[in-house]
Amino acid sequence: MTMNANVGAMPQATTKEGEGPFETKYMRVNVGPQHPSTHGVLRLVVDLDGERIARIIPQIGYLHTGFEKTMENRTYQQGVTYSNRMDYLHGFGHDLAYCLSAEKLIDAQVPVRAQRIRVILTELNRIASHLVFFGTGLLDMGALTPFFYTMREREDILDIFEMVCGVRMNYGYFRVGGLSRDIPEGFEGAVRSFLASFPAMLDQYSTLFENNDIFVNRTKGIGIITKEQAIDYGLTGSSLRASGVGLDYRKAQPYSGYEDYDFGVPVYPTGDVRSRFWIRFDEMKESMKIIRQALNRLEPGPVKDPDRRISLPPRSELENSMEAVIFHFKLVTEGFHPPRGEVYVPTESARGELGYYLVSDGGSMPYRVKVRVPSLINLQSLEPSCIGGLFADMVANIASFDPVMGDVDK
Amino acid sequence: MSLVEQVVDQLKARGGKPGEFKEMVSVTVDKETLVDSVEAAKNAGFAMISDIFGIDYLEYPGHQGKRFTVAYNLYSFEKNERIFIRVNLEDGETLPTITHLWKGANFMEREVYDMFGVQFEGHPDLRKLITPEDLDGHPHRKDFPLGETPTLFNDGRFLDPAAFRAGMTGESGGLTGFTGGARKGVRSEQGREIISHETTGEGGQT
Repeated sequence: MTMNANVGAMPQATTKEGEGPFETKYMRVNVGPQHPSTHGVLRLVVDLDGERIARIIPQIGYLHTGFEKTMENRTYQQGVTYSNRMDYLHGFGHDLAYCLSAEKLIDAQVPVRAQRIRVILTELNRIASHLVFFGTGLLDMGALTPFFYTMREREDILDIFEMVCGVRMNYGYFRVGGLSRDIPEGFEGAVRSFLASFPAMLDQYSTLFENNDIFVNRTKGIGIITKEQAIDYGLTGSSLRASGVGLDYRKAQPYSGYEDYDFGVPVYPTGDVRSRFWIRFDEMKESMKIIRQALNRLEPGPVKDPDRRISLPPRSELENSMEAVIFHFKLVTEGFHPPRGEVYVPTESARGELGYYLVSDGGSMPYRVKVRVPSLINLQSLEPSCIGGLFADMVANIASFDPVMGDVDK
Repeated sequence: MSLVEQVVDQLKARGGKPGEFKEMVSVTVDKETLVDSVEAAKNAGFAMISDIFGIDYLEYPGHQGKRFTVAYNLYSFEKNERIFIRVNLEDGETLPTITHLWKGANFMEREVYDMFGVQFEGHPDLRKLITPEDLDGHPHRKDFPLGETPTLFNDGRFLDPAAFRAGMTGESGGLTGFTGGARKGVRSEQGREIISHETTGEGGQT
C-alpha cells in the first residue's frame, strides 16, 4: 500500500476568516501504521481542528492474508488451521464459529463432552483476550504496571492451552464434529486452580486503577457512543453492550450448549470509554461462572461425532477393520462432502458478532467462505466516538474497542 | 406470525422470491427494488445491518442466472430474528448504496467493491478497503488466479514469488515452477475500473 493513500480532499475548517480570533486550517496527521499504541498495524489519517478531531479515516489492510480465499481451496476439516489465525487473541472463538457453521452444513452431532470442553476453552480464551485488552489498553493510556499483572494471569491460561493442544496460539484443536483429541490428564485441576486464584487477581486490578484519578479522567465521559449511534454503525459485542443494548448471542441464539449455563450479560448505559473498559471486567467474572459450571458437568464420553463420514476412525480400528481404513483414506485424501446450501451461525466472540457464512457446492471444499469479523465493523465506530474529541483521547478510544488487526484485515 | 414472515410477505409484494435453507430465510429481490426492500425490512424491525457480502457463482456447478449475488444480512434485536436479502447481478452492473440507511454499511460495501468489483452508486467514499490500492483486480472473483503467480501492479512493480524465493535460498524456482505470463487482475469492461488515485500530497511522501 502506498503511503499516499487517497483519502479525499481536506474538509473546510469550521472557523472562517474574521469569525474567530485566528484563521485556522485543518491539519492532517498520520497515525501509524507502526506505532506501539495502534494495536498492530492500524493506520489512521486524522484531520485536526486545533486539538479536536474533525475527521478520522482508518486505512487498513496491512495484515490482509486472504484467509477467505485460502479456505475456499482447502477441505472443510483443514479450515480450522486458518480460522484461529485471524483473531490471534481469541482463536478458539474463531474455531468454534467456523466449526459450528460447517457442522450445521453437514448436520454433525457434536457429543456433549466436546461441547463442554469447547465452552471451557472458548471462555478461558475470552478471559485471556480481555486480559490483553486491559494490559495494552491501559498501556496506551500510559499505565505500565497493569500490563505486567494481566500478562502474568494470561500466562496461566496459555499454559492450560499448551497442555491441551501443544501451542499457545493458533490452536487448531477443534474439529468439524468435535475435538481433535480428548483433554489431557490434569486439565481439570489446572483450570480449577486458575479459577481459584483468578478472583483475587481481579481484585488486584480494580485496586490498581478503579479509582485512579488519571484513569477516571481519561475515560469517564470520553468517546460517548449513544445507543442509536451504536446500532447505526453496526457495533457489536462488549462495546455495543456498553452503549445500552443487551445483545449477546450466547443468550440470544445459544450455541454449543450455552443455554445450559447460568450467567449474566452485563449492560452499561453510558457508552463511554470507561464503561467499555468495565464491561469487559464484568464479563471476565461471567466467563468464570460459565467455566465453573461446565467443569462441574464434564462427564466422560466421546469427543467426536461417531459418524465415520465426518470423523477419523480410532487408531486401534485401523489394524483390524478394512472399512475403517477406507473411511480413513477417504477423509484424509479428500474430506467429506456436505450437501449444497448456505449457512450462517452467529457467535459471540470476545470482540462481537462473529460468524462464518459458508456456501457449499457439494464438493469437499467450501465454495465461498465469508467471515463476518467483528473488529472490522466495530472500527467504523471510531467516527462517532472520536470526532469532536481531543486528539489525546483517540488512543483511549481505539483501545476501548479492542480491535485485533488480524481480525480486521482477514 | 413472526417478523421474518411479515417481511417476506412485504417483499413478495415487491416481487421478491423467498428461499429457505436450514431455518435461514432469504429473499431475492430485484436491483430496482433493493433499497426499497431493505428500507421496508429496516422499518419493520430489522434494526441492525450485520453484514453485506458478495458471492461469485461463476464456477458453481449448474448455476443458472446472473453471476454475482450480493447479500444483506439483517438482524432484529426485539424479535431476535435474522433475514438475508439477496440481489443478483451481472458483471459490470452497479448497485444503489444503502449507506443512508446505516452508516455501518460503509465498510461493508467497500469490502464488496474491493473483493468483487461491484460498484455502489451514491456511496460517499467508495475506495478499496483491504487489498493494496495498486493491486489490479478483485481477488474474490472466481477467475482471479491463485497461487504463486507473478503479479504486475499498476505502478509497474513486478513481483515473482518463486524467483524471489530462489534468489533468497539459492535453490530452484520451487514446485510451482510457473512459466506463464504475468498476472493481471480481471477488470470489468464497464464502469470505473479503479477509483482514481489522485494523490492529495498529505499523509506521507511518494
